[in-house]
Amino acid sequence: MFSFYITDEEFNAESRVTSHHHLTLGQRTKESSNPKAGFINSMSYKAMKCGLRFKPPAIILLYEDVTAGKYRQRSMPIRSFSKFSDCSRAAEQLKNNPRHKRHLENVSQSQLERLYKLLKGHLNGNSLEESLEEIRRSETIDPEEDLNKLDDKELEKRKSLMDELFEKNRKKKDDPDFEYNVEVDFQQEGPVEVCGWDEASDEEF
Amino acid sequence: MSMAGDGVSDIEQEKYDADENVKIICLGDSAVGKSKLMERFLMDGFRPQQLSTFALTLYKYTTTVNGKTVLVDFWDTAGQERFQSMHASYYHKAHACIMVFDVQRKITYKNLSTWYHELREYRPEIPCIVVANKIDADLRVTQKGFNFAKKNSLPFYFVSAADGTNVVKLFTDAIKLAVSYKQNSHDFMDAVMQELENFELEKQEAVSDKEDESEDALPLQLQGF
Repeated sequence: MFSFYITDEEFNAESRVTSHHHLTLGQRTKESSNPKAGFINSMSYKAMKCGLRFKPPAIILLYEDVTAGKYRQRSMPIRSFSKFSDCSRAAEQLKNNPRHKRHLENVSQSQLERLYKLLKGHLNGNSLEESLEEIRRSETIDPEEDLNKLDDKELEKRKSLMDELFEKNRKKKDDPDFEYNVEVDFQQEGPVEVCGWDEASDEEF
Repeated sequence: MSMAGDGVSDIEQEKYDADENVKIICLGDSAVGKSKLMERFLMDGFRPQQLSTFALTLYKYTTTVNGKTVLVDFWDTAGQERFQSMHASYYHKAHACIMVFDVQRKITYKNLSTWYHELREYRPEIPCIVVANKIDADLRVTQKGFNFAKKNSLPFYFVSAADGTNVVKLFTDAIKLAVSYKQNSHDFMDAVMQELENFELEKQEAVSDKEDESEDALPLQLQGF
């Protein structure tokens, strides 16, 4: 059985963010008179991987202590969490926990939330596959769903899922290849593919 | 059709009659990216004015069209679209409309016809641009045909608020269309409204007059349209 589960996919992204962060620190150090000052005063923990241990429940972080030049593993025990607990709140509390805060700076709350969901599924007697499937489902937008009909909370959930894609594809002002005015002429040459959204049966359309 | 009635009448809309002011409204379902498009166009310059009592967000923008300064108010829905309908005052005096759907969600495309229908009830003639947003999710959609715009003879843009594709073009074109509509407005409803306003004035003046010609003035003038 799995006792330790690591979600790899997002960590690459996380560590990219971290190294970017690290880079800015490095640049700042260069300018200061004391080349090490930047590192002493700021944390340089580079999160690499993050996972869940079922027994006893803990969130495990693999990270690089850049100052010391060492790789370390940190266990963050999960206490007072039951199958009735709120995963999003638990993730938020862990992220803001003064003991772990600095290590988790570059680990997103949604990633931690996912780990809590896995634990919750486990406490409910679900297999790892079942829990993963459930998480996947809750994190996918149903293209048929009419979001106009949702209440605020549910709509916000969908919006934050969409925001993940938005942020992923987003060109920010500080990006080296950012252009304010991007014009693309999508000339449709030859026979245009039918998109299927214009069926003849939809007469009102 | 009710005039800028009820709660929202508190918002000063008279200014949209002044030459240098135009009002552009955004329409479309929840979460199609209307606000994200606004923010991408205005970048750091955006100072949205949240009018939460009216479920409305106003973005102000100043530009020049043909050497003249134009003050643009962009109206964004702020959740009001959830009722699948906007308050009449949202459409009142609008000079152009940007109508958005999400290429990843068919229902937002299907709902365009509802939005368009409501728009035309209030503003039968204003320019309206149809916008397919979120093309960054899958560029292949740009090779597909979306007939709604063609069917209604409306300009159509593929855009992405995330990577910026065609966003600036969309808004600058919308502003140009709004300005030219305003300069050459033959909008029937505008004319009728103007007539009714004049009629009200004439009626008030007529109270002291012995000869009262204003009562049959309205139908006569309306026949001219």
